[in-house]
Order: sequence, then structure tokens, then C-alpha cells
Amino acid sequence: MSVLVQSVARILLAPILMVAFAVLVKGYADVGDGFAAGAIASLAILLQYVAFGPERTERMLPIRLLPAAAFAGLLLALGIAVAPLAGGDPLLTHPPGAGGEVVQLGSLELIGAVGFDVAIFVLVLGATLGIIHAIARQAEDEDEDEDPR
Amino acid sequence: MNLILALAIGVLFGCGTYLLLKPDLFRIVVGIVLIANAANLALMSSGLGRGQSPIRPLGEGAVSDPLVQAMTITALVIGFAVTALLLCLAYRIYVTSHTVDLDELSHAEARYERELEREEVSV
Amino acid sequence: MSERLRGRAAAHDLPAGAAILAAAAGFAAVLWGWSQGGGVLELPWAPTLDLNLRFELDGLGALYTLLATGVGLAVFVYAGRYLPGHLAHQRRPPSHAPRFYGLLVLFMVSMAGLATAQDLVLLFVFWDLTAVASYFLIAYDRHEVASRWAALMALLVTGVSAVLLLIGTLVLYAEYGTFSVPELFQRAQAGGMLTLAGGLIAVAALAKSAQVPLHFWLPRAMTAPTPVSAYLHSAAMVAAGVLLLGRLYPLIEPSEALLDGLLVVGAASIAVGGVTALTRDDMKQLLAYSTFSQYGYVVFLYGLGGAKAAAAAAFYVVAHALAKSALFLTAGAVTEATGGAKKLSELGGLARELPLLAAASAAAAATIAALPLTVGFFADELFFAAALERGPGAAAIAVAAAGLTLAYLGRFWAAIFLGARRKAGRVPIAMLAPVAALAACVVVGGVWAEPLSSLAAAAGESTVRAPASASVAYHLDARAENVMAAAAWAIGLALLALPGSWRALARSAAELGSRAGPERLYGGGLRRLNELSDRVHDLEVRDLRTRVAALLVPAGALALLGLLATPTAGSYRVEGVELGDMGLVLMLVLACVAAAAATLPRRHLSLALVLATLGFALAGVYAFFGAPDVALVAVVVETLLALLVLGVLALVPAQVLRREANIQVRGSRRWRDPLVALLSGAFASVLAWSALSRPAPERSVAAAHVELASDAHAKDVVTAILADFRGLDTLGEVTVVAVGMAGVVALLRRGRLW
Repeated sequence: MSVLVQSVARILLAPILMVAFAVLVKGYADVGDGFAAGAIASLAILLQYVAFGPERTERMLPIRLLPAAAFAGLLLALGIAVAPLAGGDPLLTHPPGAGGEVVQLGSLELIGAVGFDVAIFVLVLGATLGIIHAIARQAEDEDEDEDPR
Repeated sequence: MNLILALAIGVLFGCGTYLLLKPDLFRIVVGIVLIANAANLALMSSGLGRGQSPIRPLGEGAVSDPLVQAMTITALVIGFAVTALLLCLAYRIYVTSHTVDLDELSHAEARYERELEREEVSV
Repeated sequence: MSERLRGRAAAHDLPAGAAILAAAAGFAAVLWGWSQGGGVLELPWAPTLDLNLRFELDGLGALYTLLATGVGLAVFVYAGRYLPGHLAHQRRPPSHAPRFYGLLVLFMVSMAGLATAQDLVLLFVFWDLTAVASYFLIAYDRHEVASRWAALMALLVTGVSAVLLLIGTLVLYAEYGTFSVPELFQRAQAGGMLTLAGGLIAVAALAKSAQVPLHFWLPRAMTAPTPVSAYLHSAAMVAAGVLLLGRLYPLIEPSEALLDGLLVVGAASIAVGGVTALTRDDMKQLLAYSTFSQYGYVVFLYGLGGAKAAAAAAFYVVAHALAKSALFLTAGAVTEATGGAKKLSELGGLARELPLLAAASAAAAATIAALPLTVGFFADELFFAAALERGPGAAAIAVAAAGLTLAYLGRFWAAIFLGARRKAGRVPIAMLAPVAALAACVVVGGVWAEPLSSLAAAAGESTVRAPASASVAYHLDARAENVMAAAAWAIGLALLALPGSWRALARSAAELGSRAGPERLYGGGLRRLNELSDRVHDLEVRDLRTRVAALLVPAGALALLGLLATPTAGSYRVEGVELGDMGLVLMLVLACVAAAAATLPRRHLSLALVLATLGFALAGVYAFFGAPDVALVAVVVETLLALLVLGVLALVPAQVLRREANIQVRGSRRWRDPLVALLSGAFASVLAWSALSRPAPERSVAAAHVELASDAHAKDVVTAILADFRGLDTLGEVTVVAVGMAGVVALLRRGRLW
């Protein structure tokens, strides 16, 4: 890949991740939801894959545990969904309830449902990365098989 | 408007079906993607209202139906996951049978079964 | 060497110890519970479906649970010593051992559940659990064809009859509206439905207890390791059948025909089992035939009816189970001591080499043969008393049965332990102790039968729901039971002393049974089912597309029929197109053009790009629909999908793809494919048009969601729906994504996540 693509890709990594995070957190107030955020984040990493190739990207970025984190995200989402049962509320009763106090962080509102979105974010990121990695590794293994020939 | 939407859905569905009947595994996957898209379009067009996006504060006029939007997002995501799986499945079939042609696969399957039966009889 | 020992310890001793502890704990718990007067445990399971988890420790439940755990304890101790040798002999690693103990404990637990369950569906679940555990245990020596065949036979016979039990349950539910056993007893009235249900339940019970004509699986099941035979196929699983009879007796009782049927089946089983046992040479086979013959006694007792017979049946089960397990364990010990001798003709004269074993097994054999000073004597006393009440015919059958039993058991014991002295090795203490313990139980029971008879009386009470008694004692007078017992011994001793008189007759009877018996039917039926399955498989269309067409064409025809049949007045409207919709129309046209372009033959790479165009066009459509969230997700998904398609296509060599792209459509497919596509497209269009012409009358749902979003502290209603109102749908969606990834990783990387 040409140097131009590589440098642009490297520069773009952080902003794209910021955008993903913004979409995640702003999901409740504006366009966006957990899934879109996760997919955008994975696109950022996919861009690195395309620009730098799989081995270099996997060496550069700390993404080893992300596919496993997908299952952690799933469990977290399940936990958040099931946790209200302990208090006698039906499933998916996010705190705070209707008309309750909302914790504000600047202009961001932190409500229970955002935790659910975060879990989905982690899950989608991990899942897509797992798929990308599997395909990339498959290509590598194939090249290795062809080399002796 | 509804007629145009119905026609579009029909075109997508028809093209998807045509691809589904091809002997190439990857074309079959594309056909499935087309049919899924037709379904998503049908879902979106069955909304009870079409107007501004359902983000508060709302202005005057009609508001788009948020429920079908949520359903469509779910359908899109699931379609993505299934398509990814199908693609990798098609690739694995290629790796084991060295072909992506459905006709050759059926012949290979029939041949394999005949061999199995021959083994069973001789045992 | 020490490593092997450590490995053995982990694989054998730990699971064995755990199993022994579980059995002992269970036994103690049930004993304590029973001493406290029993109890009821009720938990709602699916109240709307009338399913409850209801367990009751009544007389019947306590009796069978104590039996299962007590005999289990003895068998587990025996297995702890038997299994290492068994595995080593077959050259299998010790890691196969924990499975054995796990299955045995599973079986014990399901037996306890079966005994105490008071809900028919619960009963069925535990019933099948015992069958499943038995299947795996019989087939424990997986490499042996005979074991696999026997396990399948046992599973099929008991499993298919379990379906009859389920059908009976459903008939009762349809008739009386409840699955709960106590409620059924209150509501049940004599009638056709009750007889039908009772008959089905009886057949299931009889199949499980290996009664004629469904008895042929039990001798085959003797290919299982000895502890399995001693536990399952003498004391526990076959006891489950008569347990079911005892538990659901009030449903069978009102029907005279069913009771008479039980009498006939019981008597037939006694006869068939006894006569065949006289001819068998293999030790375990003989004991198997003896087992179902003895359970014929129990079925006969249930057929006689009445409180006394019910209590007698319960008493008999315990007496038989204790003694039969001891005899099976003896057979295993003898095989071990003589280095693998399994047939009576290979044995003899071991009494002086193995005195303790001889004495213990003599006590056990005496129990079943109903000799005095054993609990079996009391069991037969109750049996004779119940038969006498019925009449002289039943009494005659009873005497004949007891005589037959004495004959074949005497032959069994004498053939092993009497005769010319033979060399034999030692029997390990861990294999001898359980036999001795069981023998001690039956001897003690022969002197002090009070605890067992009170338990049996309580069990009889649970069965007939009226006071029952099973009091036994030694009466040294000429009462009828004693006379019958004496007559039976006389017959038995006569048969033993004059073997020539009956040998030929018994042999030919056994031959007839195996030639024309139900086992042939089973084998033939199975073979014919296999042929049928093969023929249906050959019918199946091989081609994927024709398979799909075989589904879609009839479905399409039906849908077309439906469309034609619905009244169409005013159902197809054409709404106007405003200027503001032009963007939407443009995007739709682009999407359609891209879809059409995808159908043209081209290289796969450009196919991916066309697909991307389609996706982005549809994203534009969604944006114009006033759905920015959907548009965002569509754009992102389309990007990911395009890159994914390109990535996977890059893995396939170019020649293969090129060949596919250039392939010419041959023959009839040339016009058939476009025609089918046209028809399905038209069908989809018409369907969509008709649906879109009739919006739902209720428009308030959408508005309600918009209103409620403020309660959820959300400004974006769609996100609120996804994460809050319909969060379960989202959970399903993300599960699909996770599973999709797991699938891809499994396919491409054999399950390694990274």
C-alpha cells in the first residue's frame, strides 16, 4: 500500500474512534446507537488492516482480546437486562425510572440504557474484529501453503 | 407512492430469486442479500407515517414511524451477521470440494454416497 | 509408576468416592425424611400449562428411594473395585471411569425423582432420564457391537413405550384437565377414557419391567458391566415399571379388564422367565430371566388387586432387589476370581475356595427361593396369602411359580459352588463386602421384618389409598400359606433331583421362544424401518435448487390462491407522488438498477461493487424516509459487508471465480430461471402493493412510542425503542451477531478466537 494511504490511515484512526465513541454516547440524544458505534469503530481498525496489512496491524494495535470481549459484551448486556429482576422489576427496567433524576456529565446524560449500548458496542466491535481476523488469517495461511510451491 | 415502493420491492425480490437459482455459490449469497434488502425495504415502507425523523424536539407535521425503524435496524444487523457466516460457509465448501459450482457439488455428493453404499455392502 | 497410580486415583477413586458419598447421603436423607413423617415439596413450574414440580415422600416414594440409594451404595462400592480391572482388561484409559460413576449417580437421582414425583409430566421426564442413563450405561463398552445393539434395543423398547405413557398422560389431561397425580385420583371416574389411559400406562410399565412380550431386551442388556446389571437391571430400572404401577394404581384399578391383563402378563412372565432360566448356561443370562420372572410375581400381585396384594408387591420388590443385586455381584466376583469364566458349565466346586462368597450368595439365592430365615420367605408368605384370597387357580399358579423359582436358583447356586473342587483366586474385599452386606440384610430381614413390613404397608397404602398391612411372622402351624410353601419346596426339590424329566421340554420351549418370539419381531421391524428410510432417502432430490423450488413453488401457488380468493374491492390504491418525494424515487430507481445489474453475468469483483451500490442506494432511501438511524446503520453495514465480500472473494483463486462468471446457462434453465424470477417478483410486488394500500387502522402505537420516549430520558425515539422498550429484540439481535462470529471462527479457524 502506498505511503500516502498508510499515513492517512494512521492519522484517521483516532478521529474515527472518537466519532464512534461520540455516536455511542450521543445515541440517546441524537442519531446513533450502540450498533452503529461499534461498526464504525471496527471500520477504523479495518482501515488499518487494509492500509498496513494484517501482521503489522495486529502488532501495532492492542486488539488481541477483542474477539473474546465480544462474549463479555454479550454477558454484560444479558446482565443489564436481567438485573432488574432482582429488585422485582420486569426485565430491562433501566435506571432511572420515569421522571427520575438523571446524572448529567456536562451535556451528556448517563442513564442505565447507555450501559446497554456500551455492551452492544463492545460486542459488535469484538464480533466484527473476530470475523476480520479470521478471514485475514485464512489469507495468511493460504499464502504460507503456496510459498513452498 | 405505495405503488412505486411495491414495484421496487418486487424488482429486488425478483432479481434476488434469479440469483438464487444460479449454480454459483457466491451468486446465491448475493441473491440472499438482495432478498434480505427487499424485506428491509418492505419493512420500512410499511411504516405508519412518513415525515420528519423521530428525534425530539419534534416540529410540526408527520413523524416517521419509529417502530419500523427499530425493526429495520435489527433486521439489517442480523442480515449482516448471517451474510458474513454464509460467505465463510461458501468459502469452506470451496476448500473442501475445490469447487463453488452447485452442479459439481451435487455430482460429488452423489458419487460419495454411492461409494459409501458400496463400502457398506462389501463389509 | 506413581504417575499411573495418581492418574488412576484421579480418574477412579475420586469419582467413585463421590458417588459412594452421594448414595450414602441420599440414603441417610431419605431415612431421616421418612422418620419425620415424609413431606411434600411443591414448586410452580409452568402454572399456565398446569405443570408443577410436586414431590412427595410417601410410603411408596420412600421405599423405592431407599432401595435405589441403598442398593446403589453397595453397587458403587463394588464398582470402585471392579471398574479399574474392567477397563484395564479392555485396554481403555482410566479417563473413561468418571463417566461411569456420573451416569450411575444420574440414574440414582432420576430414580429418586421418579419415586417421589407427583406430577405426570414430571414422572415422564424422570422415566425417560432413567432410560437415557441406562442406554449409556449398557453401551459403556462402546467398542463392542453386542453392547451397542443391546443398548439400542433397550432404549427403543423402553423409549417407545414411554411415548405410550405420554399419550396416556395427555388422554388423562384432556379428560380431567390436570397433570397432578393427587388431583387425578380425586377426579378419576371409571370409563372408556380411563381404561385407555390406564392401559397405555400399564404397557409402558410392563415394557420397563421387561414383562412378556416386551421382555427380550433384558437378557441382551447383560452385556453391560456387572455393576450396571446389578443396579439397573435387577434393582432399580426394572423396578421403575412396577413403581409406576404402584403409583398410578387407582387409575388402573377401576378397570377389571386391565387387572386381568396384568394377571395374565404376570403369570406369563413367571412361566417364560422361569422355564428359560432352567436352560441357560450363562450366569448373567440366567439371572436376567430370573429377574423378569420375579417381576412377574409383582405384576401378578398388582393384578390380584386389593390392599394386601399391594403391600405384598412392595415388600416383594425390596426383597427381590436386595437378593438379586447380591447374586449379580456374586456372578461378577466369581468371573473375576476364576479369571473370566461366565458359564455355569465352566464353574463348580468353588464353595471351599470362596466360603464367604458361597455363604452370602446362598443367603441371597435362598431369599428369592423363599426359604425360611430369609426375608424372601416372608415375601412369599404375603404372596401366597394374596393369591389364596383370589382363589384356588391363583394359588396353584403361585405354588408352581415358587417351585420353579426354587428349581432354577438351586441349579444356579449348586452349579457354581458345589461339585468337584476347583481352583480359584481371591475375591477382593471391596467386591465381597457389598455381597455380604446385602446378604446380611436379607437374613436380618428374615428374623426381624418389622421395619420393612411397615414400610411396605405404607407403600401399599399409597397405592390403594386405603389402610394396608404387610405384617409377617413365623407361624408354626398348618395354615394355608405354610402348606403352599411346603408344596412349592417339594416341587422345586423334585425338579432339582430329576433334571432329565424336564430338560428336553424346557430346552424346546426356550428354542421356540427365541425362534418365534417377540425378539424376531423387533429385529424384523427394525430392518424394515431401515429399508423404508433408505428408500425415502433415495427419493430425496439431490440438487439444492430443485429442493428449494420444491418448497417455493407450492408455497407460491398457495399464496396466489389466497390472493385470488380475497376480495379485492378497494384494496389496491395508488397514492400520489409529491415533488418532495423525488429524492426517494430517485434512490429507489438507483437501487432497482443496481439489483438488475447484479443479475448480469460479470466478474465477482464487480458484483461486490454493484452490491455496495445497492446498499448505499437503499441507505439513501432510508434517509429520505426520515430514518437517519437506519440510514447510518445501513451505510455502515454496507461498507462492512462490501469489504467482507471482497475479503472472502480474495481467498478463492481467480480461475475458479472466472470459470463461474463465464459459465453459460444451459438448456431449459435459460428460460426457466428468468420466468421464475419474474413470477416471484410480480408476486412480491402484488403482495406489497396490497399490504401498503391498507395501512393499519390503529395509528396510536407509533405515537405512543414517541410520547413515552420522554419518560425514558431519550430524545432519539428509535434508540429508546432499541435499548429500552424493545430491548429483548436487541438482545436477540446481538446474540445472532455473536453466534455469527462464533460460526465464522469455527469454520475458518477451527474455533481459535485469535
